Amino acid sequence: MFRALSTAGLVSLFAAMAIAQAPQALTVTSPTLKAGETIPRDYTADGKNVSPPLQWSGAPAPTKEFAVVCDDPDVPMPQPFVHWVIYKIPGTAKGLPENIPIDPAAAMPADVAGAVQGTSGFRRPIYRGPAPPPGKPHHYHFTVYAIDAVLDLKPGLTKAELLEAIKGHVVGEGELVAIYERKPSAEQP
Amino acid sequence: MATQLNGADVVIVGLGAAGGIAALPLAEAGLDVVGLEAGTRLTRRDFAPDEIRNNVRDWPQAVQKTNQEVPTQRPNAGAPTTRASSHPMMNGVGGTTLHYWAQSWRLNPWDFKVVNETVRRYGRSRLPAGTTIEDWPLDYEELEPYYDKVEWETGVAGRAGNIKGALSPAGNVFEGPRQRDYPMPPLRGTGFTDLMAAAARSLGWQPFAGPAQINSRSFQERSACLYHGFCNRGGCHVDAKNGTAVTTIPRAEQTGRFRVVTRAHVTAIDVDARGRVAAVRYLTDGQEFVQPARAVLLAAYTYENVRLLLLSKSRAFPSGLSNKHSQVGRHYLSHAQGGGVTALFPFNLNTWYGLPAQGTAVDDFADDNFDHGSLDFIGGGNLWVYSERRPIGAANMTTFGRAPNWGSAWKAFVKENADRVNTSYLQKTTLPYESNYLDLDPEAKDPLGFPVIRITADYQENERRINTYIQDRMEQWYRAAGAIAVQRNPLGTMGPSTHTYGGTRMGDNPETNVVNRWGFSHEVPNLGVLGGSVMGTSGARNPTLTLQALAWRTADHLVKNWKSIGE
Amino acid sequence: MISRRALLKAAGAVAAGAAGAEVTRAEGIADTPAPASAAADRPAHDHDQASPREPLEALTAEEAALLTAIVARLIPADLNGPGAVEAGAVAYIDRALAGSLASSREAYRRGLAAVERYARSSRGGSFRELTPVDQDSLLIDVETGAATGSGAGFDGSSAAFFALVRAHTWQGTFGDPHYGGNREYIGWNLVGYPGVRTAVTADDQRLGVVPAPLRRSAYDTDMFTKATARVDPRDPHHGDPA
Repeated sequence: MFRALSTAGLVSLFAAMAIAQAPQALTVTSPTLKAGETIPRDYTADGKNVSPPLQWSGAPAPTKEFAVVCDDPDVPMPQPFVHWVIYKIPGTAKGLPENIPIDPAAAMPADVAGAVQGTSGFRRPIYRGPAPPPGKPHHYHFTVYAIDAVLDLKPGLTKAELLEAIKGHVVGEGELVAIYERKPSAEQP
Repeated sequence: MATQLNGADVVIVGLGAAGGIAALPLAEAGLDVVGLEAGTRLTRRDFAPDEIRNNVRDWPQAVQKTNQEVPTQRPNAGAPTTRASSHPMMNGVGGTTLHYWAQSWRLNPWDFKVVNETVRRYGRSRLPAGTTIEDWPLDYEELEPYYDKVEWETGVAGRAGNIKGALSPAGNVFEGPRQRDYPMPPLRGTGFTDLMAAAARSLGWQPFAGPAQINSRSFQERSACLYHGFCNRGGCHVDAKNGTAVTTIPRAEQTGRFRVVTRAHVTAIDVDARGRVAAVRYLTDGQEFVQPARAVLLAAYTYENVRLLLLSKSRAFPSGLSNKHSQVGRHYLSHAQGGGVTALFPFNLNTWYGLPAQGTAVDDFADDNFDHGSLDFIGGGNLWVYSERRPIGAANMTTFGRAPNWGSAWKAFVKENADRVNTSYLQKTTLPYESNYLDLDPEAKDPLGFPVIRITADYQENERRINTYIQDRMEQWYRAAGAIAVQRNPLGTMGPSTHTYGGTRMGDNPETNVVNRWGFSHEVPNLGVLGGSVMGTSGARNPTLTLQALAWRTADHLVKNWKSIGE
Repeated sequence: MISRRALLKAAGAVAAGAAGAEVTRAEGIADTPAPASAAADRPAHDHDQASPREPLEALTAEEAALLTAIVARLIPADLNGPGAVEAGAVAYIDRALAGSLASSREAYRRGLAAVERYARSSRGGSFRELTPVDQDSLLIDVETGAATGSGAGFDGSSAAFFALVRAHTWQGTFGDPHYGGNREYIGWNLVGYPGVRTAVTADDQRLGVVPAPLRRSAYDTDMFTKATARVDPRDPHHGDPA
């Protein structure tokens, strides 16, 4: 088969194979959020409800920017409940610092300048952490996408809109999954 | 111990749009008429331009009977019922015409003959599955003289589009032919409604000023409308809004033959041994009164008409008055009038004043005014844009997803855009179905212990398809006028509504209708029913003028046939 | 700082609703000592009550103070002008809770207590002591219902209480000033409403025209009766001519 192709044809074929390859596995960690363990209160609605710090590594060379989605598949709905959508994170970033601002007028931290927040399931363009109905633990998937282009992504995209827009451009993907549970509490007077 | 009153010739139960009209021809004919109204009299001094009292607190100055009888609702027989916290209609002399929008449309000829016309033009298979629709037992031509009567007696402002076949684009060229023009020209337009009219014309549509039961100039010694912006759920401070309380009711009282009884809470209609109505029972201050009558006209609004019939059981009528064929409550529908479209413009519209009846209409997509050959529904909708807005309503505007609902970002958005938003009113063809009906709720009761009405109804496929199509047209219209964003509002549920039809449907067949072609019960010759509950289809417009024309016609029939019906 | 005079005045206040019912106060103000840190370290925009030394009809001083802090975030005073507190929205709510909205008084008692409890358990301090950003974050959680199930004691979803307060705050900011809000027409100025006119001309309705703002209440003339504006809707006989 290869004998029949011209040089140009070979180059196209290899390029196509590169795109068709499965995304590289990213390693996603956090100094305060441990995989498989309970999410600290301050990243939930039972605490200060600020976004947790995330770190990632292993993004392949073509990476130009990152996107992060946090969602909970344990809700009794057809789709997971989305807690955070954030994208246009610079390709040079190694992670997200804690407490990304909720005030639209406030600037993004310098390392992630230009990052844009999308619309979560709470209909707000900010991080809103776990607030599950009491009774069972829910899983929270912090998924990081490495994207091979600087895409024209408008502010306020939902998770579905974001994933549609980056389709075909995801060269790396990884996740950190942690859990949170609310206990049924006695009624306060 | 009930107090027995002196007999009257005719008792009218409810003095709203329908009952308030019927009183006049009956009294003018010399009959002795008593009108029983659960509410009280309200006057111009009660109608301050006060958004909190009118629109937020919903008329605390009125007797609250309807609010204590809110129907329960469920979309179908398998679903649980819910119950809204308030009723859209009110009690008072004049009923809800004390604050209604007063748009005043005739139905188009098609609305009277939907079955025949659909079969003729598209084939029987185009009638939606499950509909129980019948053609009306009268056509537009037969009702025309009564439309004319009500328009001239109460005062409707508008411009004819078809006088005896001669068309005029200043009016609605799709309307049925009328014998003469309106008694007054239409309400004036505004910069915004004129802009929308121009945009409609640029699309090749035929916009016109819609008709209103409101004085556009001084009429019958009442003031012209002052366009102050508190007409929506507001009473008129200058009596320019021609509800029955300022038109036909006082004229009926002036004959000396019509007596209004207020705070009369009707509980039942009694029949005699012959199966004819004999009296109406009511409570005032907890005391019971029995008002004998030779004839009774039931005009208490759709829900209460049905409820009183179902509650008025007797040996002759064990399942409710006039209900031997189980048709009371059947063929019910509430108008598909939700699903409006809201638009954001990049400039101020100056629509702080005006009223819902001050607007521009497009009827090109109503009824069968357009070819449905390649479409998957029958009927259509009226597109209506108007000028009016109040401050609390403005502050509750949609932000089109561009700002949150509170805080500094919200404040900045509203400061810029409060006068840049407009919401259209889209009334759509709605049909009766086997699955949509009214009955008595098995659990919920009013304060007297009587069951309230349960609504089992939902919009069906035909209504939903019309909704999408009409929203498409409305978005097209707004964008042609320069809107930069639109939002489509939900169609909603068939909960308690201001536009209700059926429940005591009118038709020739006594097995599928409660009243005959004159509005009198097939089973009880001296019981007539007035109101939208006799109507079998909705058309794409408000029911008020049509039910008033029918009420006048029923009253005329009673007068002409008094010997056989009343005695 | 709440003056002793205001405390006594508020403790002795009686509701002025048309029904004439005497208000029974669930907790006397004198029973609740002011927080020890009250005078010190307050956040930037602090409002003790709707305005200094104003008598309250339904809320306690502490409830009014917390409600004021919440309302200050819903429609803040900022570069776009004064906000809901300056417009007297809290005074409107307090007066309404003593009259037409009396059926919501329990919801306020319970909801305000839950907000305060939630602030302490989740944000580590009294609501009034949080920074504006933390207050907003907390209110978002109340608004979305995320605060429900936190053990704070909201009655049903916290979103219902948020919606109630928002609706009343909007009425108190943008409603006719006769009801105690929209002070100095702050609300009508914000949305650009040209004011209550009993007659509107064709010129007033042209595009590109801004009708001159008319700043008066619907009740500033003798044309309309004020009496029916504060009637108890549960009384079946009101509105009846004598």
